[in-house]
This record gives sequence, structure tokens and C-alpha cells, in this order.
Amino acid sequence: MAMIEFHEVSKLYAGSAAALSQVSLSIASGELVFLAGPSGAGKSTLLKMIAAIERPTSGRVLVNGQDIGHIKPRGLPYLRRKLGLILQEQRLLMDRSVLANVMLPLIVTGAPGEDAEKRARAALGKVGLLSKAASMPQSLSGGEQQRVAIARAIVHRPQVILADEPTANLDRDSANLVLSTLKAFHGAGVTCIVSTHDEYFLDRADRVIYLSQGRVTDAWQRTPVEEDVA
Amino acid sequence: MKIWLRQHRFAVMDAFARLGRNFGSFAFNVLVVAIALALPFAGLTILENVRPISTQLAVEPEISIFMAMDTPRERANALAPEIRQVLQANRTAGVLEFIPRENALGALKERSGLSDAITTLGNNPLPDGYVLKLAGFNNAKDAGRVDEIAVQLKALPGVEYVQVDSAWVKRLAALLNVLRLALLFLAVTLGVVVVAVVFNTIRLQVLTQREEIEVSRLVGATDGFICRPFYYSGALLGLAAGALALGAVALGLRPLNAAVAEFARLYASEFQLMPLGPAVTTLLLLLSAILGLSGAMLSVRRHLGRAA
Repeated sequence: MAMIEFHEVSKLYAGSAAALSQVSLSIASGELVFLAGPSGAGKSTLLKMIAAIERPTSGRVLVNGQDIGHIKPRGLPYLRRKLGLILQEQRLLMDRSVLANVMLPLIVTGAPGEDAEKRARAALGKVGLLSKAASMPQSLSGGEQQRVAIARAIVHRPQVILADEPTANLDRDSANLVLSTLKAFHGAGVTCIVSTHDEYFLDRADRVIYLSQGRVTDAWQRTPVEEDVA
Repeated sequence: MKIWLRQHRFAVMDAFARLGRNFGSFAFNVLVVAIALALPFAGLTILENVRPISTQLAVEPEISIFMAMDTPRERANALAPEIRQVLQANRTAGVLEFIPRENALGALKERSGLSDAITTLGNNPLPDGYVLKLAGFNNAKDAGRVDEIAVQLKALPGVEYVQVDSAWVKRLAALLNVLRLALLFLAVTLGVVVVAVVFNTIRLQVLTQREEIEVSRLVGATDGFICRPFYYSGALLGLAAGALALGAVALGLRPLNAAVAEFARLYASEFQLMPLGPAVTTLLLLLSAILGLSGAMLSVRRHLGRAA
């Protein structure tokens, strides 16, 4: 069953070239898909459309069968609670502790404080930052901040994880930790869509969609035979 | 229900945390709003203190009806039902008291302190009379009807003179109306000032917490979740300012009372200005919180869309 569907989706910004042009694709529930392509190819726009941060100029985007073009503002929070967002800029709240940042997706749903804290600590443990729970984000390195953002994205066990260049600021060890975390979620049946430039990841991907100038230019999926060779 | 309560508890704690982070700014805003609230609160305190006195003076306008000197006592007594008929015809209630001329003289001697001088007059110079206290005349418009009743009473047989205090009632009623209107105008104007101050305070909070609002939206926060801490901040600001204003007015009464007591002593009175009672105080605190909440709601609705 398709979790994400794009039907001839275009996105135009006034005074600039099309960010997306007639994009059609389908991502099944539980898939781990990488989006590749040069800067400005439309990867971030595509991810933002899935989260309804951007709306298509034309075409339809369906998330779990729900057309995001028809979601009313009141319904948006409930869509986003099913998603885990890891954006290029971490967007952490600098006046709150690491733990409070990770607890936020649970708090907004009205989860009990103790339960939220327990789950947030577990999420921080998965990204290797449990010891930094009480720290303030500005005291962390860029890589650590990125891992806090990942913990925040996974803490509420989303159906879909959207990661925009999640390893851009990370060293190889941290990047591997991120990849293994995403793969663990993929293994648990979570749909993961990751945009990246990192050839190291693309070499290990099951499915890659290439974008250039807002269009899907290539796509491939590892066959079981290829998996055996890899 | 549990989730709803939990989210409100979180909003209250978040509002307190925000106030704690910017306590200096919060305290300054409380002071500004308290100054605006203190003026109508002080006016209301004075009006509430003066109202019992003004009520006694204004509620029952009096008409004194004097009989002719040669009117026999029987005729004077027989006038009572005729006066009541006049009241009925004018759909007015009142308390009628007959004052025999001997009683009137006795009262004059007692009150004026001219007992000896009056005794030298020999004959009683006062006529029989009635005192009519009218009910339900609380404003200047009503008081105009007193004149009409007086004219009808004057036409009754045996009546020599009718003295009306309607002019006094009119003036007092009009003065009280002016005072009430002035206080209402002042309260409305300063209420708008309070809403404007809170509006601006919350606007600044929304702008400085733009990043937090955006992040909260991205992780699935509803507008209600985002708005609530701002609403509580506004209500807390109003409540704190209201309490400060009431405290300041209560403290201000002390030196004022020293001067008032000295003035009242000249009139053999022990009049003192008292602070507002618990019911009115609670009502004013509630009103202050509502004003703060209104300012916050207007501000959040106006600026939250821009922050997103």
C-alpha cells in the first residue's frame, strides 16, 4: 500500500524556476527511500510538501491516502503528529534543555510528563546523547545538535520520517549512527524518506530517486540479487 | 478531559516560566497597567463610600404641606385621605406624617436652641402641617414630577403653603449621574489602555518566540496549544496589575482618611473612606484578568498568523 503518492505535482515560486515540475512517484509503507540530486533540485521542496509545509501549485500529494491540498489548517497538526521531521537546520529551542526539546512532540499531544520524559530519554539513548539530556543545545556541537533533532523526530514513533540532509554536519561515525537509527526504524515498519548528497549512503540504499531541476530524472531500486551481492 | 487539563497545566507552567525569564519586563508592564487601573478603582472606591450618604439624601424627596393658621384640627386631619388620593392619581407611593402645630413648636425649640426666645412669642406661630416623603424618585427626570404633585396639593382646601425640595433632588441626582458617567467613561478609556498595553506586550512575546511557535507547529501543536500560554500570560498580567492597583488604592486611603476625618469632624461626623468589600474586590480582580486576557487574545489572533 502506498504511504506517499505524488501525482504530476508542480511547485512554482513567483519570479523563479519551477521548484518541482510534473513529479509523479509512489513510496510504499515501510520503505526507506533516498532522494538524491544537486542543490536546488527540489529535494527539500518535495519533503516539505509531504509535511504540508509547502502546498503544490498543481497536482496532488497524498499522505496515507489523505490529499494534503485539501487538509484544513485545523487538521494539519494531526497530520504532522504522524511525521518525524529532520530538517537541514535543526531548529532546536535554545532556551530549553535537550530533554525538553525532545519531549516537545509528546507534550503537544498532551502526553503525561513522566511518560514523555521516559520516552524522550529512550530516544536520546538511541542517538547516543542520553548523557546530554540536561544540557542546553548551544553547548552541543553541530553534530550533536543534529542528533538531538533526530531524537525529537523519532520520539513519538511516527509513521513516516522525513530527513533533509540529516548527515550534512556529521562526521562519519555520527553519520553511520544516524543511518543505523533510520534503518532500525525502517526495520520496524516506519517509512523513511531521506534526502542526501552522501555517496556513502546512496551506495547502501535500497531505493534512490534522483531529482534535477525539479524533475525526477532517474530512479532505481535494489533487487534482491543486488542485495545479495552488496 | 485528562489531556485537556494536562495541556492547560502545561500552558500555565509555560506562562510562568516565560514571566520568570523576563521578570523585569513583566514587572514594568504590571506597573503600567496598575497605574491605568488605579484611577477608576480609586474613583469607584470613593463613589462606593459616598453612595450610602447620597442615597439617604436623594431617595425620598420631601414635600412639606402647611395648613392655613385658622384651619381647624378636624379639617387638618381630614386632609390626609385627600393627599393620598393625589398620590394615587399620580401613581406615586409615599409616607405621610401629620405634624400637629404643638409638636412642630416643640421640635423647633429643641433643635434651634432658641427655646427662650420662642417662649417670649406667647402664641404658637406655627400651623399644623404634613410631611410627605415620596418614594421611587431616584433621578432628575423623576424629580420633575414632584413639582406637579406639589401644585395639586396646593389646590387642596385649607392648604396655605407647599414647600418642595425637588430642586435639591434634581441637582443631587444630576450630580450623581454626572459622576457615574464620568467614572464609567474613565473606566472604559483606561480599560482600552489596559487592553492596548497587554496587546503590545503579548505582540512582543509572540515575535520573540516566533521560532518556538514554528517548531511547535512542525511537531504537531494545535493553535490552541500555541495560544494558551500567551492567554495565561495576558490574564496573569491583568490579575497582577489589578491586585497591585487595589493595594495601592487601599494604601492611599490612609493619608486621605486623615484629612477626611478632620473635615468630617467639623460636621460632627465620623465619616471615613473604607476599602472596597471582598465581593467588589473579587469582581475587580476578575475584570482585570479578563481585560488582560482580551488584550492577549486580540494580539495572538492578530500576530500568530504572521509568526507562522
